[in-house]
Amino acid sequence: MPALPLALDDIRVLDLAGEPGMYCGKLLAELGADVVKIEPPGGDPARHIEPFFHDEVDPDKSLYFFGLNSSKRSITLDIATADGQALFKRLLPTADVVVETFPPGYLESIGLGYDTLSQIKPDIIHCSITGFGQWGPHSHYQAPDIVAIAMSGMMYLAGFPGEAPDRPYGNQTNYCASIQATTGILMALLHRDATGEGQQVEVSMQEALLLNQETAVPYWDIRKDLRGRVGNERRLPGIGVYECQDGYAMLMVGVPGFGSPWPELMRWMADEGKAEDLLEERWKNLFAQLDMRLIAEIYFGTDAELVETWVPRLSHIDEVLVRFVKDYTKEHLYEEGQRRGLLVAPVNTPQDVVANPQLNHRRWFTPAEHHELATTITYAGPPYRFGETPWRIHRPPRIGEHNQEIYCGELGLSQEQLAALTDAGII
Amino acid sequence: MQANRLPLEGIRVADFCWFGAGPIYTESLANHGAQVIRVESQAHIDGLRVAHPMPEGKYTLNVSGYFNNYNASKLSFTLNMKHPKALDVALRLVAVSDIVTENYTPGTLEKWGLTYQKLQEVRPDIILVREPMQGSDGPHAEFSGFGAVISPLAGISHLSGSPDRVPVGLGTNYTDYVINPGHTIIATLAALRYRNRTGKGQLVEVAQVESSTCAVGTAILDQTVNDRSQNRQGNRLPHAAPHGAYRCQGDDRWCVIAVFSDDQWRAFCKAIGDPQWCREERFATLQSRKENEDELDRLVEGWTSPRTAEKVMETLQTAGVAAGVVQNARDVLENDSHLKERGYYVYLDHPEAGRTAYDGPGFRLGKTPGRLRPAPMLGEHTERVCKEVLQMDDEEMVQLVIDGVLF
Repeated sequence: MPALPLALDDIRVLDLAGEPGMYCGKLLAELGADVVKIEPPGGDPARHIEPFFHDEVDPDKSLYFFGLNSSKRSITLDIATADGQALFKRLLPTADVVVETFPPGYLESIGLGYDTLSQIKPDIIHCSITGFGQWGPHSHYQAPDIVAIAMSGMMYLAGFPGEAPDRPYGNQTNYCASIQATTGILMALLHRDATGEGQQVEVSMQEALLLNQETAVPYWDIRKDLRGRVGNERRLPGIGVYECQDGYAMLMVGVPGFGSPWPELMRWMADEGKAEDLLEERWKNLFAQLDMRLIAEIYFGTDAELVETWVPRLSHIDEVLVRFVKDYTKEHLYEEGQRRGLLVAPVNTPQDVVANPQLNHRRWFTPAEHHELATTITYAGPPYRFGETPWRIHRPPRIGEHNQEIYCGELGLSQEQLAALTDAGII
Repeated sequence: MQANRLPLEGIRVADFCWFGAGPIYTESLANHGAQVIRVESQAHIDGLRVAHPMPEGKYTLNVSGYFNNYNASKLSFTLNMKHPKALDVALRLVAVSDIVTENYTPGTLEKWGLTYQKLQEVRPDIILVREPMQGSDGPHAEFSGFGAVISPLAGISHLSGSPDRVPVGLGTNYTDYVINPGHTIIATLAALRYRNRTGKGQLVEVAQVESSTCAVGTAILDQTVNDRSQNRQGNRLPHAAPHGAYRCQGDDRWCVIAVFSDDQWRAFCKAIGDPQWCREERFATLQSRKENEDELDRLVEGWTSPRTAEKVMETLQTAGVAAGVVQNARDVLENDSHLKERGYYVYLDHPEAGRTAYDGPGFRLGKTPGRLRPAPMLGEHTERVCKEVLQMDDEEMVQLVIDGVLF
């Protein structure tokens, strides 16, 4: 039986990307493209970033690197040298896409800019990912993750009022910039398929992240309201993060109109004998009055008496809820809350995520054979599932693992030439 | 060759998505040339059409900045799927579409009669893209949720922020904006290319919890390989110091600074005028800076706090040191000279909302850049879709309006 076709199995990508663009190559590879990672001799610097396999510091054992480079092949090449550039130009005609993250102007300065590349391969798609794009006053600014996150406005919204804003975990720029780049590349490929025309795809990490500000920009634009950090401000009982027996749970129960609101939560608390005085008639009437309009008046209105009456009531309800939640595990709150139609979620640790029954039922976590480590490693699974054209994952390459295959097998270098170029530090 | 052709020209999308992650995804398709027909209904209003912000004193279904920013360049077609005659109209639309999208609770489309099998009957190569919360099967498939619960579920909340603080997440429904819509666009374009190559459509499913969990890939590997469940570490990184947000002059003004190597440290010291403390042994190497990081952060903030965040950034970046203002929405929209010059935000005139800012594309195609049109008013294009897309005559259309189908 012939192998199932893949969405991109006719596409080759030359992947020169550093950290912000690595996930792009991974996404393309796992859709079936042949992604050839081109590393400097000695290996990509990201191979030195922790955590490591069994904490063994080794450039072939970085889990950070593994997570962003699975399913690629690897060759080493010093493109700063004339010989390296010549070899790159020989590889280029076999490629459909080039992805890189060099500072603007660098590739031009070594004679590998888009103008040159498109003379050699006219329909090449050249994707550049940099902190601030190829042009503009900040285009030469240094932009590790935290800088892009800060300049994109999303950091300003994360954390507690009055305290330093929080950077999200895990270099989210890598994911957002690479996702935007992959989208651009696929659109450019569809355009190329239709017209034969290649082009440049430009990604600014800052721009790739801006959408993450949610409504902050429309709020400023339309209302001149500046959204800030709200921390764990629980304006309404039942909306926010609550401490529970083994960690935290997120409750989105108190919003009128979202999910089943208070009566079900009250039934739950009553069933457990923990509703305290909230079952009394006077509370029932008060709950019935709580709608969006009243809430808006309490928080944004000017009626001091209304505020004075309602704020202590809301605090009391919240205190009862705090006492209720703290006796249960997050898993119990999640399962039982959702069974009752309430919007509850556990604040999962990585250990919880890996044990998540839903993800495991769907066999989301995906093993990849690592024969070089004599083991199998379980990876984060597919971001999407296809009826046809399956997603697939393969372990990341070791440094220069495919030099022989590509330089000798494809470009026709002899063993002696490969050895000489390796000795010269070109490969 | 056709001038100004956009990459998705000729592609039609019957867009049954609503709220955040779905419409954001289909907007990107629309901005790049696809004809995206939002199927909406007065009987089933998209929650974002009634969400803030709206202009002062003007609360209508057509002015929400939240909705409009995610629905640029689309057409709005009203069809009440709860009406028995709606299914036929919906299938006629599917028959002339390339892609059908939805992000409802599993089973909703089926309830309307729009099973994948039915779609295939009227359009054999249809691509159906579903974006459920948890996936279409499994013990939690029916669980309710939206963006706000994904960050906690996926581990993003637990891993972000200060270790001595409650894990509140990122202050937004983070994965709704780039992570989930972005993965969904990629899946859709891959399916489209596969169809172009093979003639086959397919069913694509992007479970939002799954696609979001990809964004904590390193923590997953640390858990599965080393049995180590990572905790949040604030703004610090094991291989950098200083690395964090530092208070600057003014109210709630901050600048981030990131120093990884010893070379960068020397450049940093020089840029801030080589104060005495910079020369101290306890800050001489990355390791010693990590050991004395509390004190280091205090001294760095001593330098930043009397200066504006902009000045701190410019001083350090001029010296090649990574630094960036923690910009707020006003900064990115009005003060960031770089974004302005690049024209990221696009101002469009809307008949009811007036002139407002829209996010431009998050990537730029050199020859076929995306372009935006203002978001549609509810039902603005119902007549046009009936006539131009569904080839209806006036009589049929009027009858469907009278019957409350096109509503």
